[in-house]
Amino acid sequence: MRALHTAATGMMAQELTVQVISNNIANMRTTGFKRQRAEFQDMLYDQQRRAGMQNSQQGNVLPVGIAIGSGVKPAATSRVMSQGNILPTEKDYDVAIRGEGYFRVQLPDGRTAYTRDGSFELNDQGQLVTVDGNLVDPGITIPTTARGVTINPSGTVQVTLQNQVAPQTVGTIQLSRFVNKAGLESIGDNLFLETAASGQPTTTAPNVDGMGSLLQKNLEQSNVTAVSEISDLIAAQRAYEMNARIISAADQMLQSTSQIMR
Amino acid sequence: MENISLVGLSRQVALQRELDVIANNLANLNTTGFKGDEVVFQEFISPTARDDTFQRGADRRMSFVWDRATATNLGQGPMESTGNSLDVGLGGRGYFVVQTPDGERYTRNGSFEINAQGQLVTKQGYQVLGDNGPIAFDQSDTGITITRDGTISVIGNNATNQPAGQRGRLRVVDGNTPRAMEKAGDNLFTLRGGAQVANLPPANVDLRQGYIEKSNVTPVLEMSRMIEVTRAYTALASSIERHDQLRRDAIRSLGNPTS
Repeated sequence: MRALHTAATGMMAQELTVQVISNNIANMRTTGFKRQRAEFQDMLYDQQRRAGMQNSQQGNVLPVGIAIGSGVKPAATSRVMSQGNILPTEKDYDVAIRGEGYFRVQLPDGRTAYTRDGSFELNDQGQLVTVDGNLVDPGITIPTTARGVTINPSGTVQVTLQNQVAPQTVGTIQLSRFVNKAGLESIGDNLFLETAASGQPTTTAPNVDGMGSLLQKNLEQSNVTAVSEISDLIAAQRAYEMNARIISAADQMLQSTSQIMR
Repeated sequence: MENISLVGLSRQVALQRELDVIANNLANLNTTGFKGDEVVFQEFISPTARDDTFQRGADRRMSFVWDRATATNLGQGPMESTGNSLDVGLGGRGYFVVQTPDGERYTRNGSFEINAQGQLVTKQGYQVLGDNGPIAFDQSDTGITITRDGTISVIGNNATNQPAGQRGRLRVVDGNTPRAMEKAGDNLFTLRGGAQVANLPPANVDLRQGYIEKSNVTPVLEMSRMIEVTRAYTALASSIERHDQLRRDAIRSLGNPTS
């Protein structure tokens, strides 16, 4: 009976949905995390009687046929790239992006990764790094004699040195953006890599060319909302149950037939 | 007398197929732009086999059931907000047009992506067609806005955040008959033989950017249909069983002359 297999594909689809939801909820407090959404497609249809066929006896044309689908399959887990809430942190090197764009980060193997997580630190050489120690690109070095650091919305990093009145510019944080940011590849650690689907990055200073602006002493929270995840979870769980009911219904029908022969 | 079994059997075969359809509907409960199917039953009156075993007046024709067709319920699915600028929910009539290797296909799933060439594509990578062919974006484009009639405009590479121009208009078509579209899997529809599509006028197109149309399957309805199918099937099985018993009893008593 086809229904057994069809319902099984439905149950597997709901399992995938629950996996995606659990990862979203696990990352509810992850800085700059973007929630994912599982997407599905229907599978091939078995055309048991084709519409448009001649109905032999009267010469009529069948207006509709019998097409029976064989279930569902996963199509994509796409990221929802909406802006997360911005929360003040009172830390000098915490930077949130309001609007489009990603920080560029130099990985140890030389590749460039992209992140929305602006919780930066200084390493022992005074260089601006991520919490994992990856260098921010282009590199920004804060002199050890600096007293205060200001990062303005356009990315300019200014410090006031000891015994000086006028602030000095030590560099500019740049942002990159992609024509299809949903096509970026997640590699964990809040990092993304460029892919063929994302397109090549456009890199400029913040606040120009449609790029977002920076907000010092703030961090972007994840865009996961507990209420919608939980309601999605309930929906997935119920859908799973309903597909399981189909299996028991098909089983019951087969059983009633097999019981005739005793 | 075998007719009792055969009529029951015709219904059981039809019920099995109905359960297959219900299973497919429920499996696609979360499939974007999915339209549920229904089975259409028909009475099939046997032209030759007549129930004239007992010669009671006129002949009576046998009537069987026939699952004549599956009809797709094209009703609107609920809209869900996703916040993605490349998700487009289609309200009311119409289908988006996508270019597949086998020709044009149609879909209600407006969850699009941009490929490496900057073209608007479906999740399978098929180009989404606009009024003037594929829709392409520049790498510097941002702030993609899709209006209700499908016009796509962007903010380009300028400092003033002014609209840089239009990138085309999504083509939305509809068939010339209510049953012009046939499901082809992968959320796509194909045109039935003889049917044609025509572009919907912009005034009749109702797009919502940042939304997707969910599946229009109503779980409660499907569950109650499923219960109906199982109960009917079980009832038929027991009627076939009773008929079998009847026959067995008849053979036993008629074949025993001493009783």
